[in-house]
Amino acid sequence: MNPNLILLLPVFFPVFAGILLAGSRLLCQERKRAVYVAAVSLLELVFVGLAGAGDYELVLFRMSDRLAFTLRPDRLSILFGVLCAAMWLASAVYAAGYMRGQKGSRLYQIFFLVSVGLIAGLCFSGNLLTAYLFYELMTLALLPLVIHERSKEAIRAGLSFLFYSIGGAFLGLAGFFIFYSCGISFDFREGGWLGAEGVRKEAGFIVSLSAREKQLVLAGCFCATVGFGSKAGLFPLHGWLPSAHPVAPAPASALLSGNVTKMGLLVILRVIYYIVGPEFLRGTWVQYTLCALALSTVLIGSVIASREQLLKRRLAYSTIGQVSYALFGVFVLNRTALLGALLHVVFHSLAKNTLFLCAGTYIHETGRMRADELEGVGRRLPATTWIFTFASLTLVGIPPTSAFLSKWYLAQGSLEGAPFVFSWLGPAILLVSAVFTAFYLLPVTVKGFFPGRPEEENMASVLQGEDSMAAAATESGSMADALQEKDGKSADAGHPQEKGSAGGRALRREAPLSMLVPPAVLAAFAVGFGILPGGLLRFLEAVCRAVLN
Amino acid sequence: MAENLWLTLLLVLPFAGALILCGFCGQGRGRAMYLTADLLAAAEFALALFFAVPVLCGGGYTCRIKELCGFGLSFELDGFRAVWLIILSFMWLTAVVFSKEYMEHHRHVLRYYCFTFLTLGATAGVFLSADLLTTFLFFELMSFTSYVWVAQEETKGALRAAETYLAVAVLGGLVMLMGLFLLYHLTGTLALDGLREACAAVQERGMLLAAGILMLFGFGAKAGMFPLHIWLPKAHPVAPAPASALLSGVLTKAGIFGVILLSGNIMHQEKEFGWLVLFLGAATMLHGAVLGVFSVDLKRTLACSSVSQIGFILVGLGMVNLTGGNALAVNGAFLHAVNHSLIKLVLFLLAGVVYCRLHSLDLTQICGFGRKKPFFLAVFLCGAFAVAGMPLFSGYISKTLLHEAIVEGGELFAGSAGVLLSVTEWVFLVSGGLTAAYMLKLFTVLFLDEPSERVKKCTRNYLSMPVRLLLAVPAGFLLLAGLLPDRILLPAAEQASAFFGAAGAVHGAGAPHWFSMENLSGAGISIGIGIFVYFTVVRQWLRKRDGQETVYVNRLPAWYDLEESVYRPLFLRLLPFLLAGACRLAESVVEKTAWFLSGPLLAAVCRLADKLVAGIVWLISGTMLSEKKPREHLHGAGRIAYCAGRVMDDLVLLLNRTVRRKRPIQKSFVHIFAVGGRRTRRTAGLVARSVSYGLMLAGIGLVITMLYLLLG
Repeated sequence: MNPNLILLLPVFFPVFAGILLAGSRLLCQERKRAVYVAAVSLLELVFVGLAGAGDYELVLFRMSDRLAFTLRPDRLSILFGVLCAAMWLASAVYAAGYMRGQKGSRLYQIFFLVSVGLIAGLCFSGNLLTAYLFYELMTLALLPLVIHERSKEAIRAGLSFLFYSIGGAFLGLAGFFIFYSCGISFDFREGGWLGAEGVRKEAGFIVSLSAREKQLVLAGCFCATVGFGSKAGLFPLHGWLPSAHPVAPAPASALLSGNVTKMGLLVILRVIYYIVGPEFLRGTWVQYTLCALALSTVLIGSVIASREQLLKRRLAYSTIGQVSYALFGVFVLNRTALLGALLHVVFHSLAKNTLFLCAGTYIHETGRMRADELEGVGRRLPATTWIFTFASLTLVGIPPTSAFLSKWYLAQGSLEGAPFVFSWLGPAILLVSAVFTAFYLLPVTVKGFFPGRPEEENMASVLQGEDSMAAAATESGSMADALQEKDGKSADAGHPQEKGSAGGRALRREAPLSMLVPPAVLAAFAVGFGILPGGLLRFLEAVCRAVLN
Repeated sequence: MAENLWLTLLLVLPFAGALILCGFCGQGRGRAMYLTADLLAAAEFALALFFAVPVLCGGGYTCRIKELCGFGLSFELDGFRAVWLIILSFMWLTAVVFSKEYMEHHRHVLRYYCFTFLTLGATAGVFLSADLLTTFLFFELMSFTSYVWVAQEETKGALRAAETYLAVAVLGGLVMLMGLFLLYHLTGTLALDGLREACAAVQERGMLLAAGILMLFGFGAKAGMFPLHIWLPKAHPVAPAPASALLSGVLTKAGIFGVILLSGNIMHQEKEFGWLVLFLGAATMLHGAVLGVFSVDLKRTLACSSVSQIGFILVGLGMVNLTGGNALAVNGAFLHAVNHSLIKLVLFLLAGVVYCRLHSLDLTQICGFGRKKPFFLAVFLCGAFAVAGMPLFSGYISKTLLHEAIVEGGELFAGSAGVLLSVTEWVFLVSGGLTAAYMLKLFTVLFLDEPSERVKKCTRNYLSMPVRLLLAVPAGFLLLAGLLPDRILLPAAEQASAFFGAAGAVHGAGAPHWFSMENLSGAGISIGIGIFVYFTVVRQWLRKRDGQETVYVNRLPAWYDLEESVYRPLFLRLLPFLLAGACRLAESVVEKTAWFLSGPLLAAVCRLADKLVAGIVWLISGTMLSEKKPREHLHGAGRIAYCAGRVMDDLVLLLNRTVRRKRPIQKSFVHIFAVGGRRTRRTAGLVARSVSYGLMLAGIGLVITMLYLLLG
């Protein structure tokens, strides 16, 4: 048997598993279905790893001799594929708890599985055409996840998601036509097909593009980047994110935000570094415009996020800003910055997934959607809030969490190689945005753990010691008993009638384990990669070295 | 310098300690927790002594962990760090032991203890760090863990102060990071031992200066430098007293640690930087002292005093830079930092004692608390005299050194720079005087004024034995060091000078005559100003008698608050409003444009395109091909048809009269022919028109083709 056929496994296995779920009557029990979905996601992770490990190539079918559908994973594929499969697994486990008892969860699960297969296809695709095919299919498969709620808003958001994605993809397609007409191959080649000054790097002979063709290719590249940037939330086509993320169920919005946006980035990476070539773009108007667009997106996302109260929408705007960090790193066309961008892809994905899952837990457990309503949530859900805190710190980029590293490389890369004012403006905007990130994420933690209390109550508790009810409600309630016994000795304890006044506060009740473990693991990775980044760093350095020398 | 990996134990111990506390001292095991905490703090102190004492005798340790956190962490223990390590671990020990008493009736004690130990680890990390990234990492960690101290009480004031603290910490940290980005970009290294040379070699001095100023912002924010001092007077009064002691005594010094690095090493060639530090230091010193005089809250007064004293240290550091590492400035700045830590330890713990017993810090309500408490008086006096720079106490030594440094610096610079320095000297003396004034105010309040109602009610034993012991040590040190400066303080300063980049400066020989007239007169002027200010301003204006009671009033206008009247409106209202407005505008413009493009405009364009051909046809048919009204023929037919019809009709008439009498033909051929003729003509007209239309389109096409061929 052809060993290359293993490539079919990660792509089609979950698709068929999804279809099976649709067709079979066996899996009507909710619990079994959740286990099934999680198991398929786990297997998918294994398959992606296996398929990515070897040097495989598989032509699915040919349209013409220049156009074929090919699967050919490289390092970048492994990075994105494994990242997505892992997140899908986390989301599947989380959804087991989150979606319990919800109507229509079967449909959700079907498309959940189908979409991961298509995303694996997008990651593993060996040329632009294949990537485009899977990109469009992925959009369609994700639509049911967005409109899962079936509310008016959800459907509107779904349509907006569809229009922006498809519209963007068509804009990208226009770019592909231009590439094709200028004789640039659609196959991915590390470092792209064009060198500086538009010299085409074909085996054996050198062809230079004419001046007109150069301009055309630049325009095509711009179209493709802006078009696929719509998935990555690049201004001006970012409009679908803030509407689609809040309405999707939390496990889905986590994926939309953490991974689907990265798929846009992946295609942009493919176009810039694997088709056109960074040398060709360096110093052109395309690079400048894209840098400016990315930086303004960073600013727009962060600023609006800090003014937004609906937690999931706030996170969605945050995603717009954060993914553009990585996009900026991509557009700087410098090895350090690219390394920073790839690192940020991983770290943002981890942190943002965690945050969305935690936001989902808040909604699920307390029913509160707005950030300013989450006062005291740390008392009620301490573990979740701790996880949220670590993910927030990661996203702000506080060392030793991981995003500090990516920011460091992005900033250094920008200082080394970005054109014009971008060299210092880039880091400056990254840090301004980090300040905003701190201001829109940390208050959740702060309000959660330090809800405050009325002055009189405070005074009373200081004077008379603890009352056991309130103490039991808190993580550090351990002192209650110790303090009780000393209570009597306190000579100036004044207000015995105040005792027990702090009762009635929400008691600590943590979310079910399936909703706690996935974000916890993701957050652990998000922090852990910052402390021990060695392996990941070397792997990504290899990617960067291959495409930029 | 010996490589010693065990150095990390100093950091691991507190972090692990926090975990131990968190994990094993759970529900209802209070006594165990207090004991564990005390033991951990004692162990850390012992460990610090174990490492620091050999270093003080000569030598040093380094420690580098590769790849951790991406860049590797590196630590070092030299003389300067050893001194600070001992001080900070001792302060933590004191604070932790005292916390047991202070936190007795508070909530969330476990949280407090956990974060106290986390902060200890982070702070130790800052002081041990041997490259700026490590410094930054632990610095940020310290900022976030110490946040819990400020918010611990969860009162409204505490939460607001904590908000300010966090905002300043985050902002400071990220601005500092920008400085680090630039510095690393310029020098390619952040390791402290190579940084001095690397910075000297940098070509782009402007960039280097920018990096230095950005980093100064970050470190200065933590140190409490004007205008970033806003968090200090708010955070200290609301934090638990032991935590305030640490915040003020050690955490601000972590900021100073950074400023030393900047001023002595990184920016040692940039005189502009020295002037900046000097100017900001002078402003801090004066501003803090003025706030202190006006304050009516015990801990707030001490906090303002901290701001002011940090200003003194900053002035010293500015002089270090300006004089190129003059021994007087180096020793003065270092010793003042050490003194200030111990002074604030003593004073804040005393304030804690007051708060424990009275649950108030308001000067009016704590009047006379210190009466008939000789130990309290002795310890307070040691602290107060030291901070006011009274001869025979250690504060006098460091202030004299700083004063001498300014005077000597004045001799180096001529012209306007010299004038500036003499202005600084006077600001220095006045600030010293104000220090004396507010300490005198506190002294009067605590020991001379009539006891308030609250104080009279409180009769408990006020200090436990271990705390007494731990208080006596730093207080005794302040006195002893003031008596024997050449034995105790100068050798310690000697250890530190290398860290300031003052390797080439003269030591020992430059030791001033401590009790010469010249030096005593400086302290005399200060104390004189202090007494004058006390009797004129404090007693006359800030104090009034309300019946039996003495009431201290806050005469500081409400708007005189940088945070409330400038920063908060600016950063919380104006800037977000403008920025978010701009962003939303950009977003909505794009959205509106997109909607307009996709909706009405596109629809209009498409409709236009849809109707384009039909429209052209309509237009053309309306003008060029408009149907002519057919002429009104007889019976609506043509002449020929009419004639033919008449002939046929005549024939039919003939036939009807003759052959077909019985069945006459009832047709009018004129009519039939007319109808047929009209139909034929209409058809012919249509054919003609469509052919001409086709021809015309073809013609247009040809013209376009021709144009294309001509122009293309």
